[in-house]
Amino acid sequence: MATTIEDPLRTGAARGRSERAARAGVGPLERQRRRVFWPFAAPALLVYAVLFVAPVGYALWTSLHRWDGMGGMDWRGLQNYTLLFRDPRFRTSLFNTLELMVVGGTITFVLSFALTLVLREMRARLFARSVLFFPSLVNGMVFGIAAGFLFSPTGPVNRALELFGVTTPPKWLATDNLLPMVLGTLVWTATGYYTSIIMAAVDQIPDHLYEAAELDGAGPFQRFRHVTLPCAWDVIAVCAVLWTVSSVKIFELILLYGGSTNAYPPVSSWNTAVYVYTEAFPQGTVPRLGTATAAAIVSLAMVTLITVVLRRLLRREPIEY
Amino acid sequence: MSAARIVGAATAAALVLGVSACGSGSGSDAKASGGFTYWSMWRADEPQAKVIKAAIDDFTATTGAKVSVTWAGRDIAKKIGPAIAANQAPDLWDESDDKVYGTTAAAGQALDLSPVLQLPVPGEDVPVSHVIPAKYFDMLPKDPSGSNHYVIPYEVVTNAMFYNAADPAVAAAMPTPPTDWAGLLGVCDALKAAGKACIASEGEDPWTNGLFLDYLLNGAGVNVAELSADRSGAAWDNPAVLAAAQQVEQLVRGGHLIEGYDATKFPAQETNWTAGKAAFYMDGNYVTSEVARQVPAGWKMASILPPTAKTPDAGLFGFAIPKRARNAAAAQRFIAFFLQKKHLSGISTTALNITPRSDIPAPAELADVQKTLEAPSLRLSFDGVGGSWLPKVLNENYLDLWHGKSTAARFVATCRADQVTYWQTQG
Repeated sequence: MATTIEDPLRTGAARGRSERAARAGVGPLERQRRRVFWPFAAPALLVYAVLFVAPVGYALWTSLHRWDGMGGMDWRGLQNYTLLFRDPRFRTSLFNTLELMVVGGTITFVLSFALTLVLREMRARLFARSVLFFPSLVNGMVFGIAAGFLFSPTGPVNRALELFGVTTPPKWLATDNLLPMVLGTLVWTATGYYTSIIMAAVDQIPDHLYEAAELDGAGPFQRFRHVTLPCAWDVIAVCAVLWTVSSVKIFELILLYGGSTNAYPPVSSWNTAVYVYTEAFPQGTVPRLGTATAAAIVSLAMVTLITVVLRRLLRREPIEY
Repeated sequence: MSAARIVGAATAAALVLGVSACGSGSGSDAKASGGFTYWSMWRADEPQAKVIKAAIDDFTATTGAKVSVTWAGRDIAKKIGPAIAANQAPDLWDESDDKVYGTTAAAGQALDLSPVLQLPVPGEDVPVSHVIPAKYFDMLPKDPSGSNHYVIPYEVVTNAMFYNAADPAVAAAMPTPPTDWAGLLGVCDALKAAGKACIASEGEDPWTNGLFLDYLLNGAGVNVAELSADRSGAAWDNPAVLAAAQQVEQLVRGGHLIEGYDATKFPAQETNWTAGKAAFYMDGNYVTSEVARQVPAGWKMASILPPTAKTPDAGLFGFAIPKRARNAAAAQRFIAFFLQKKHLSGISTTALNITPRSDIPAPAELADVQKTLEAPSLRLSFDGVGGSWLPKVLNENYLDLWHGKSTAARFVATCRADQVTYWQTQG
């Protein structure tokens, strides 16, 4: 049985490495890499610091003050945060944000998986994918505006339902149905988007894996569970994070479905983004940038936490094929 | 200057980049020529912009002063604050009174324009105070220095129930405008019997629909701003408040609101109203120009206030000057210049709106509205209540009442409770 003796010092000396580098156990390539690391990384880090870290830091600083954006700042410590959590309207906004994230995410991904299952097997799948992707190309605001026409009591949707014998359709545009309508639009636009990304990963999975599974007697669902899901897992995990981050930023849809020309949407339909907006641009009074930024920071902390937890939960050993 | 202020100014500067990219702020160019910079709430293609542009051209021709204009549009209200913080603000800007107050005057950032009232109106031999009635200033909230002359109006609006006086069904149901609430309900009943809805309402809008409650409270002697400012919520125990809510409830329960109003979006019901499916439509007087192309031939626009209302409400669009403006004197001279009859008339003849000058006749369809505005005193809608009180306390509770999902008593109780919580979280 052969034995390998590891002796980096001896080989290192033979190649003329310096004593210091030899002690650190670093090769010339690695040393070269380390030397160019900062010159290459610094510009990116600088841009990141100026455009992202500094504004967030400044928002954090603002959130500890009372500030109208023009005059001086009054120090308030953590008072903005305590008031925020005592405000039932903010708690509702947080809950709605989570509802859109979790319920919307669950429906979107279940539908995306179902479509993946079908699309992989079907003919003309490229065409079908284009059709599915189309809604995500359209600006969400178009749906908000079109909804007023489509879902009015005498609109096309109710006319179509009448053909199926539905004589008392729901009041789609009533205040109570606001969040479900927003959710429906979100799912409709996002499903095609995530299906397209997941399908791009599925296309890379070699056919022989599916053939082998089929020979072993696996049905379509089992093939999805044991081949598609594990092989596309990395992409699915990234999609989950993308959804989480984007769902927190939903704003214009709520404003368009629920707002009128004169007023904000009903307060029970606000998410944190709308809450921030109403504090930053209130009607007939000075902006409350302290509470607005505090709400934004809470929202940022929440999405960061959820993303980290999600990454942990979705972490798997990568499968190479 | 502390580091925080420097970063603040930098952030603000970035925010105003959009506007300052098209027109420089209160800069040295304007000063050198004795002119000033002006950011307008109107876009260049709007009729008000054309009227102001013509006056600016005349001002430059007459005085030699160069005016640097940016037709910024309504986003101006979001940009003016950061612009002031970054010292990039224009010398003159315009907006509605609530926007001027909310974004600048309430924070002490608007110049007191009392001196403008003393300036002579060019060619008319009278001071500005002579042509702009004091009642338009008296209704405004005061800024921290105690002034309510932070905006000088060139256009005024009011809110009322608009109707087609040429509609035979309306004429039959309402031979003369009702003088009390029961009278209005009687008109509604008569319309219902004739197969016409009484009121067209965009059900999702708490503001226009809330004007009914606002006017009823005014008629009952309740000031909405005072009602909203009561931290204990006890002001809601006033029986007059419940009575006003019950009157609103009578409209809802009586079936006087157009069918399907709670399941549509603007402008569905405005369209139904112009098609003659309902008699009245509560809105600002801008509705007359909004529907000008929709209404059938022979439509005769008229308006009434909800009966019992004591003081009509009014809103202003006017000029304001930031406190830090460098060329304030030139901007003030222009305000007086624009208010002369020959220029201000354009707001009526070209922009089809009402001016604050009573000697400039309103467009024909707004004749009733101008008469309403001749009242000795005026008030702001909802008595000028601002901030998050409307969305966080009143609006959704009111919509529940308006949609028939709540009762007057429950509406008052939930508003009272929500108001207590609201004030606890205002700091």
